[in-house]
Amino acid sequence: MRFLVLIIKNIRRNLVRSALTSLGTIVLVFVVTLVWAILSFLDAAMAEKSQDFKGIVTERWRLPSQMPFAYAASLCAGAASQPGDVRPDDSMTWQFYGGTVDPDKRTRENSLFAIATDPSKLRTMMDELDSLPPDDAARLDEAIAKMQQNRQGIILGKDRLASLNKRVGERIKLYGINYRDIDLELEIVGSFPESRYDNTAVIHRDYLLASLDAYERQTGKPHPLADKTLNLVWLRVPDTETFGKVANQILTSPSYSSPAVKFETAASGIATFLEAYRDLIWGMRWLLAPAILITLSLVISNAISISVRERQTELAVLKVLGFRPWQILTLVLGEALLIGVGSGLCSALATFVTINYVLGGIKFPIAFFGAFYIPAEAILWGVSVGLVTAWIGSIVPAWSAQKVKVSEVFAKVA
Amino acid sequence: MVISPALLIPLAAVLGLAVLLVRLGRIPFGYNVRNLVVRWKTTLVTALAFTLVIALLTVMMAFVNGMYGLTDNSGNPANVIVLSEGATDEVFSNLQFTDAGELENHPDVVRWDGRPMCSREAYLVVNQPIPDAPPGRPKRRFLQLRGIDDPEISARIHGLSLYDGGQWFSTAGVRQLPGDSADAGAAPAIEVVLGEGIARELSRDRRAEAMPAARHGQRLDVGEVFALGNRKWLVAGVMKSAGSTFDSEVWAKRSIIGPMFGKETYTSLVLQAGDGAAAARLKDFLNLEYKKAAVQSLLEEEYFASLSQTNRQFLVAVIFVAVVMAIGGVFGVMNTMFAAISQRTKDIGVLRLLGFARWQILVSFLIESLVIGLAGGLLGCALGSLCDGWTANSIVSSPQGGTGKFVVLVMDVDANTVLLGVLLSAGMAVLGGLLPAVSSVRLRPLEALR
Repeated sequence: MRFLVLIIKNIRRNLVRSALTSLGTIVLVFVVTLVWAILSFLDAAMAEKSQDFKGIVTERWRLPSQMPFAYAASLCAGAASQPGDVRPDDSMTWQFYGGTVDPDKRTRENSLFAIATDPSKLRTMMDELDSLPPDDAARLDEAIAKMQQNRQGIILGKDRLASLNKRVGERIKLYGINYRDIDLELEIVGSFPESRYDNTAVIHRDYLLASLDAYERQTGKPHPLADKTLNLVWLRVPDTETFGKVANQILTSPSYSSPAVKFETAASGIATFLEAYRDLIWGMRWLLAPAILITLSLVISNAISISVRERQTELAVLKVLGFRPWQILTLVLGEALLIGVGSGLCSALATFVTINYVLGGIKFPIAFFGAFYIPAEAILWGVSVGLVTAWIGSIVPAWSAQKVKVSEVFAKVA
Repeated sequence: MVISPALLIPLAAVLGLAVLLVRLGRIPFGYNVRNLVVRWKTTLVTALAFTLVIALLTVMMAFVNGMYGLTDNSGNPANVIVLSEGATDEVFSNLQFTDAGELENHPDVVRWDGRPMCSREAYLVVNQPIPDAPPGRPKRRFLQLRGIDDPEISARIHGLSLYDGGQWFSTAGVRQLPGDSADAGAAPAIEVVLGEGIARELSRDRRAEAMPAARHGQRLDVGEVFALGNRKWLVAGVMKSAGSTFDSEVWAKRSIIGPMFGKETYTSLVLQAGDGAAAARLKDFLNLEYKKAAVQSLLEEEYFASLSQTNRQFLVAVIFVAVVMAIGGVFGVMNTMFAAISQRTKDIGVLRLLGFARWQILVSFLIESLVIGLAGGLLGCALGSLCDGWTANSIVSSPQGGTGKFVVLVMDVDANTVLLGVLLSAGMAVLGGLLPAVSSVRLRPLEALR
């Protein structure tokens, strides 16, 4: 305890230096937390799971995947057609509809890509929406119920609402971008809770399908995309064994030959998509983060070295008073570690709150992820980074401090 | 070497400041240098922090430059790209065969060898299973195929040529491989020409036993074969495509790969006009007057410039990271300079008694800070410049969304990047040195000497 008091007193002795070192640590831990938050999210998204995971059925060869909607029902059943075939636990179809509220002057702000799906699947099949806090869950359930009653409903994320300058309850007309001449009149029935879905829009698939039927009735010919409207099917399976059986059922089924389809885990699909960002991710992991950590170590090392040099006499006095070398080493290390850990903790906490609750995530353009959030374990990262960089930065100065020779120091003073 | 006007003002400011400091400073420059040498450990550690920050900035900017290089250099000012109306990207575009015939005969489209300079293209992205993918790596990759009717015309329009030993794919677009017998039912291999970047990427799939026979160690080359969609694909040539988006594309006969992957229409037509003015006229005609088909047209340069959305987002991210890291560096240099001042309190007192004014002492400490910053910064620029010419994978995309294009970019450390590094290090040094320098001038001579 006396040691801790001494360490704190030493830190307070040169407040400017301690504050500058602390601020440097806070700033650099902030950047490294952002980088690691993105990397850990991507790693988690690409990590294969063995229980209760999702697989994606898409067109086998082409991107973007465009399958006939006739595939939907049987794919949702995992192509189970024989007694003994296994079925997935749950399923969800996705059709992408791109539209703009201003066809004459289309911009990023007045355009959106909506997922047309069965709204009842939103809470069971979409990541994070199945584990919402009670209030958010109730609001989303209410919006879903409205959409089920009114198939012209649309649920929007808060950023999308803001960019369209609309509020829940208002109506919008979307002019088809990819579905040319398929214009949709929609009522905003709710919004997603603040989350990764801030830029997402969901519409009722029945409305899109009905609009395609109406097009055919009016023009006498099917819409060019009518037989390519199903983009992907999500299937939830309980384990890898079921996944394998369902995959076999789908891949051997003669129903999916033109176009052929493939079934892969969501992790595998995401990994393929992220391959284009391979070098960027490598740079973030092996260049950016280490360079920040080394810079941080240098900043701390500099401060502690200066401090040790300035306190040669004091360290010599401590030795005369009976302090052992290891105690002096601990004293100097303790100052650095306390600053490092304290600043790392403050930085990570502030980053967690600011990014998640004030800024609504990190908007970084990797693949289709709208925003990245700081996970709770980032607080531990902050502490660890502060601890490790402070240790690395201060071990050499602390070692030299414990080797101070009393006779040399007093000879200089004399 | 073109220096951005946006950097010229800060450059002039920094140069002006440096000249002013040296001219006004009465304390010999050698005094500052000697002090830095005496405290060499602190100087070195502080300069190293600068080095890392600036090296990182240089590498990140080189990456973004590479992306801009692709989108800015891929287009020809005389080319007009035609897509179906409403298509946000080539991959979503559908143009009928009849439209192509009509459009390529427009009087503004130039002719070569009696043929209209119109590149009829079907661009598609397909999944390629990766044979023997190492554990932990994806088992598939996205491959960008461009189906072409007449490769010679398309190459002329896009300004591409082949490396020696290569040839454009034949009129049939397929060739029987020596070991495969047509009688035994083996389908002939599909002839392709590869962009240099994708040739490099595909060479990663080579088995170890194939390496000794490979003509080129770093990329697939003429005569080599890869697999896709239950067919063999034979490399007929490798394009000199570095620095363009075509670098990551596989070109093959459209009439073969279109039906194979379900793309029965063209996705785009690239028309070549006589010059930029004729191209602009052609574009306006197609957008405003042409009513026979629902098409939209853009100058090819505009089209590629529109793919710079991701570049902009990455640039913002780079600037953000660099600025935040620079702030960390500023705190580091502040520590150094405060320590320098506290160690030299008596020096300051003596200087004041010798008649040096407060501002001259301030200038002296600022110069010292600038020397540390610029030395570290220049070293950082040199270190970061080592990445010049490296290749990296990325994506370019338009604000309208879509899948974007998977590209192989060449990292580019240009004069602006180096200048930005120097300016940032100078800015960090001045900011970090200013507060300590101001505190030094507030010392009273007699107190300082006590």
